[in-house]
Amino acid sequence: MKFDLTIGLADRPGQLLKALKPIAKNGGNIISIIHERENPSAGFVPVSLVVDFPSRWNMQKTIDDLRKMEVTIIKAEEIVETVHITAILVGKADLKRVIQEGLRNAKIVGFEASALTSKDACLKLEIEVPTDLLDETLENLRRVAESEGSLIILPI
Amino acid sequence: MNVIIVGFGFIGKKLVRAFYKKIDLIRNVDASFKVIGVSDSKGYLYDSKGLDLERLSCVKRLSEYSGKYREGGSTEEIIEKGEADLMVEVTPTNINDGEPGLSFIKAALKKGIHVVTSNKGPLVVALKELTSLAEKNDCFLLYEGTVAGAVPVFSLVRRCLQGDAIRRIVGILNGTTNYILSRMYFEGTSFELALKEARERGLTERDPSYDVDGIDAACKAVILANALMNRNVKFEDVKRTGIRRVTPEAISLAKKSKFAIKLISMIDKHIEVSPKLVPINHPLCVHGTLNAIHIETDLAREITLIGHGAGEETVSAVLNDILTVMKETAFSI
Repeated sequence: MKFDLTIGLADRPGQLLKALKPIAKNGGNIISIIHERENPSAGFVPVSLVVDFPSRWNMQKTIDDLRKMEVTIIKAEEIVETVHITAILVGKADLKRVIQEGLRNAKIVGFEASALTSKDACLKLEIEVPTDLLDETLENLRRVAESEGSLIILPI
Repeated sequence: MNVIIVGFGFIGKKLVRAFYKKIDLIRNVDASFKVIGVSDSKGYLYDSKGLDLERLSCVKRLSEYSGKYREGGSTEEIIEKGEADLMVEVTPTNINDGEPGLSFIKAALKKGIHVVTSNKGPLVVALKELTSLAEKNDCFLLYEGTVAGAVPVFSLVRRCLQGDAIRRIVGILNGTTNYILSRMYFEGTSFELALKEARERGLTERDPSYDVDGIDAACKAVILANALMNRNVKFEDVKRTGIRRVTPEAISLAKKSKFAIKLISMIDKHIEVSPKLVPINHPLCVHGTLNAIHIETDLAREITLIGHGAGEETVSAVLNDILTVMKETAFSI
């Protein structure tokens, strides 16, 4: 799993090399590194890394080790790969149920509705779904839409 | 090669006309080509010396041809005469039991007669059985015209993608629903109005549910899955949703996100026919009565075929199948 890790290093020679050691020791594979040497802030040089760790535990262990070395952790977040999906729902449906049950793994990033109170109500949903949960999410959405008697139109 | 034609409806008549017009091309492939029999639901014409294609291409009914018409005679009789090398089976489609085409095809194959058909019914019901029967009797069974009319999907896969494994097939396999959805997309018309227009233009089957409820597209998906992906699926295995509930509002919302709504046949882990969002810049996004088939394979990756799917264009596929049989059997005749 990939992590976005931004650390603040003291502006002294050899600090970057020192900070990379715990990453290697804990099984991290550095995918990218941006060292903003010319852009220190409050005496720190920010370094942004994307690191592939075998698990969250390895990442946490790295953070603990870096903190012991008095390296400032500015950001440490898992990078979740998502897919953007457009879905159109035709027919009256309990939207609360569609969202709670059909889209529990997804983030709604946009929607547009048309004739919501008629039997031909239309709702377009723009959603973001973690890649590994895509099939499950689409299946949930399909199941809920069908049980609501709505037509669900998904991308090919 | 002695040919018999079973069925003298729209395709049967157009095929006779194509034979007449292209007789030089056909005789270049097989100098002995002749049509020795044609049957319809009421009887048949038969002449082992060959029927007159010019005269045959001018008649509306077989009984108008000459005194040769044997009213009450059956197709089985002309198969049993044992003089035919190839049977073109173009009777109406019946997806419930494949009849009468299924029995005609079985009878011909058992007799060692090659078969070319554009009739989906027998293949939806019994493709595996018919393929085995053809192999057992050392016959060709070709059916390019059954899916997407003139689009050479079976020929392409069998001849040009022999080493590829097909992962997925996605297609617009019904021109009528594509016409309706295209009218709704471009003109904002309602489903009902677009369907009425399609009927007035003669694009729908007598029972429009065959098109708009995805029955026709599902039949084609079954044939593609069984013929090209080595599946063993039946019509009932297809999850099917038609286009009746697609509204102009849904199409308008899709359009704003750069999608068109199309009735898509998808052969993946499951087989499904349903309205789907197709990105407007995707090669599958064709309009009007066009058909499109998008094939995903392990080596070639993606190939899309686009063409006219029904009606007169089907004759192109039938004629090509006939010429293929002639060429492939040229040394053994």
